[in-house]
Amino acid sequence: MDLKLSGFNRKEVLQYLRWTGSEIPPEVDAMIDGCIAETLRVVQPRYTYRIFPIERQTETPHIAFAGQDIRAMLTACERVVFLAATLGNGLELAIRRAEVRDLSRAIVLDCCGSAAIEAVCDLAEQEIKTGIGADVHLTDRFSPGYGDLSIELQHEFIQTVDAPRKIGLTVTSTHILTPRKSVTALIGIADTPQTKRFRGCAYCSMFETCAFRKAGKTCGRE
Amino acid sequence: MGENKKLWYLDGAMGTMLQSAGLETGRAPEGLNQANPALITEIHRAYLDAGAQILYTNTFGANREKLAHEGLTVTETVAAGVACAKRAVESFCADHPNAACPRVALDIGPIGQLLEPYGTLAFEEAYDIFREVIEAGQEADLIVFETMTDLYEVKAAVLAAKENSTKPVFVTMTFEPNHRTFTGCSVDAMCAVLEGLGVDALGVNCSLGPEELYPIVKRMSELTTLPLIVKANAGLPDPETGAYSITPDRFAADMAKFVPLGACYLGGCCGTRPDFITKLIERTEGQTAPEREIARRTVVCTPTETVVVDGVRVVGERINPTGKKRFQQALREGDLDYVLAQAVEQAEAGAHILDVNVGLPDVDEPEMMVRVIKAIQSVTDLPLQIDSSNSDALAAGLRVVNGKPIVNSVNGEPEVLARVLPLVKKYGAAVIGLAMDQNGIPATAEERFAIAERILQAALSYGIPKEDVFIDCLTLTISAEQDKALETLRAMEMVRDRLGLHCTLGVSNISFGLPNRTLITTSFLTLAMASGLDLPIVNPNTAAIMDTIRAFNVLYNRDRNAEAYIAACMQETPQAAVQPVENDSKQTSLAHAVEKGLKDEARRLTVQLLAQGKPELEIVNELLIPALDVVGGRFERGEIFLPQLINSAGAAQEAFEIIRTEMAKKGSATVSKGTVIVATVKGDIHDIGKNIVKTIVENYGYRVIDLGRDVPVETVVQAAIREDVHLIGLSALMTTTLASMEETIRALRKSGHPCKIWVGGAVLTPEYAQKMGADFYARDARESVDICKEVLG
Repeated sequence: MDLKLSGFNRKEVLQYLRWTGSEIPPEVDAMIDGCIAETLRVVQPRYTYRIFPIERQTETPHIAFAGQDIRAMLTACERVVFLAATLGNGLELAIRRAEVRDLSRAIVLDCCGSAAIEAVCDLAEQEIKTGIGADVHLTDRFSPGYGDLSIELQHEFIQTVDAPRKIGLTVTSTHILTPRKSVTALIGIADTPQTKRFRGCAYCSMFETCAFRKAGKTCGRE
Repeated sequence: MGENKKLWYLDGAMGTMLQSAGLETGRAPEGLNQANPALITEIHRAYLDAGAQILYTNTFGANREKLAHEGLTVTETVAAGVACAKRAVESFCADHPNAACPRVALDIGPIGQLLEPYGTLAFEEAYDIFREVIEAGQEADLIVFETMTDLYEVKAAVLAAKENSTKPVFVTMTFEPNHRTFTGCSVDAMCAVLEGLGVDALGVNCSLGPEELYPIVKRMSELTTLPLIVKANAGLPDPETGAYSITPDRFAADMAKFVPLGACYLGGCCGTRPDFITKLIERTEGQTAPEREIARRTVVCTPTETVVVDGVRVVGERINPTGKKRFQQALREGDLDYVLAQAVEQAEAGAHILDVNVGLPDVDEPEMMVRVIKAIQSVTDLPLQIDSSNSDALAAGLRVVNGKPIVNSVNGEPEVLARVLPLVKKYGAAVIGLAMDQNGIPATAEERFAIAERILQAALSYGIPKEDVFIDCLTLTISAEQDKALETLRAMEMVRDRLGLHCTLGVSNISFGLPNRTLITTSFLTLAMASGLDLPIVNPNTAAIMDTIRAFNVLYNRDRNAEAYIAACMQETPQAAVQPVENDSKQTSLAHAVEKGLKDEARRLTVQLLAQGKPELEIVNELLIPALDVVGGRFERGEIFLPQLINSAGAAQEAFEIIRTEMAKKGSATVSKGTVIVATVKGDIHDIGKNIVKTIVENYGYRVIDLGRDVPVETVVQAAIREDVHLIGLSALMTTTLASMEETIRALRKSGHPCKIWVGGAVLTPEYAQKMGADFYARDARESVDICKEVLG
């Protein structure tokens, strides 16, 4: 499915840029705005998903049980969503082009991409929830590579939702999603409100690259 | 008008049939060719009984990348798949001795990984993956590539088929509702490239139902005379249940509409079953697909950008080392960033096509052509003009170029025509013919025209269509031969009016040796465009040139309502500048310019300092580096953040670029304090961190050989030895690519080449770096600089 993305979280972009509260010169501020606008112009957000019942274990892909963390998240759930989303290749070209002449702009665009794909997942989640119709509650999104859910499940995950054919999302032999700004995630569906139980860096999509974490700090969302 | 074509019926979906037979999801269906051949043969037979005349083998994903996950081999899986289809055909023929024998198509889908530059799969590797499948499926009657979304992958596939088989080649691609594939490939580009590569039929399959596919197929019918293939889905799937929306009757009715468009290969994709094919045949049996006449256009393209030459199209000339010391140095040092900057700058200035020339006596031209073309393709989607007199370089470039390029050039010399035109034909390029031959440039227009005519005839004899031949009537310097400009103009008029060909011309030579060159050049350009010059090869960064072309387009009523002209005039008013401008520029020092990230100022002040006689090394050591230290300190303390740090680095880089150009001009040694190699390891495509490190390390006066991202282990080792570099930086962002990093370190140690290795990347820790055998761990770019200082001084 195609999505129209009309905006994403600017603060998130600043966080990825290691902004810790210093004064932002107007030209840098303008550049960030320009990059956000360019990102929105060049992305081609798409997502696809499948919903599996959990109790009929023979038909539920085993990824939903591959580890303590995911089992814990899905404890109270009757169904699980396999979500795959991507921004497409357009932003990738824009980042590369910027890299040649203005690395600073390339970095900002890259951070915009990270914020944008999260926003796409939020929108997709909303659409899925609306589609289900009933009064249901969703868990957090949990991706291969978080906690003890192996990133090596990436290939099986995208096959399960037919992501290469449905949204043009593939995975390299080193388990990297391509196009680069893409996400796969499991979301539990339950009848009762779900505590957002996986908080903290280890369960954050920025875990691999987070500058706060590397500096021994957190981004404050704990 | 030729004869109408008889219809051929293809089969319907294999996957749909397997699902209803209860195949477990998540496993490769190709495994069944050996595990349950009876089931596969039975499905094939059901389609034959429904009336299908061409079966697609159950080998869609039978390539080594996908089968690796299943523990299957390509050779056995493909051969078994072909055998299943053949068995179905045999049993059908035995039961229907009077029926025409159905054909078996070796079915090949996408590899399942993105090709470079978006993914890590190299074009050459993609070729080899397809070759393996094609060799394993030699028993099939034809080869069909389907559900393709990446035209670059299709090119690898078609070349693999043509070079390893004599069977007909069919290609269908999968389009989205916006009439583009996932990778952005347009219908126009697909037709231009595949017709050039010589496929036997092309069309669409999957993704959409017949109703939604209609406008796409209609467009194809207007662009190519090749037979068209339509294998549509049974409507659109329900996102929840996956069930398809239309009935066999409706499917057949919609499919029948493709026949008048020229579609003669009809079948079904996802959601279709034998009853869909039966209905399709009932509905269309006995009909024929009309032969089409189309308006042939001159087109060059990349998958996403199609340039139709129906007016003046600008060919950027800047990617060419001739007479440019700095460019030559960049090529010799393998500094592709410099080349890429030229590409992006021209694209932004409005070039439609980029000429690419990398010819230098001491550079391996074929290898460099491949590297440069691949690199340019990663930063721009403009079509390319491959410019070389070395036919090996042309061949190498033509092979890896993505889209339909132009070859620059052939001339009237029979030996050159015989050597280059077969390449042009094989790769489906357009070609420039220079109106000269072994006897040099003829003096008169008539003689040049005669050569142009000869070149056209030669091209036609190789099967290169007329619209793909451009003629360059050659510019001679007016200060040396004043009477020749008129001959050039006359020759172009003759080529345009009598041969109906487009002309190309490099124009800037005209004014050599005269004062106010721009005036002569732009005046000649105007005259030339009026005489038939459609593809001027110019420097698009020169405003006067672009202004002249825009004015011409207004005067010749091509730029309707002067829209482009007015838009360009409006743009010249400076926009809100991202680049801060210092009010009192006289007070600005180079150090200040760097600290504030003022690129223009940094450039201007460096030029000024050099003019004042300040030695290059002093500028670097006394001004640039201390300024960068100040910036680095502020960044550490959180007083500035990443974009500001990089802006400062960018300003310092501008200063360095001035210094490098100056030194290249003087032919003096560089200011380099030593050379390092940086690379993002094999399998990893996250290279922004590495690029930051590279920029900052360069800022401190070190020469950096950047091997790029996804760099094979042996490339790092070879570069270290060849360039005699003793400090190597490796980056990896993912836990899954740390293994590659470790492997690279091991290989470097094993080679015996003395070197220090530093590593960095988000998931690394000092402990892990040590465990892997690295000499240093760098948390960031600044620590990388410290390591360079420690090792190289």
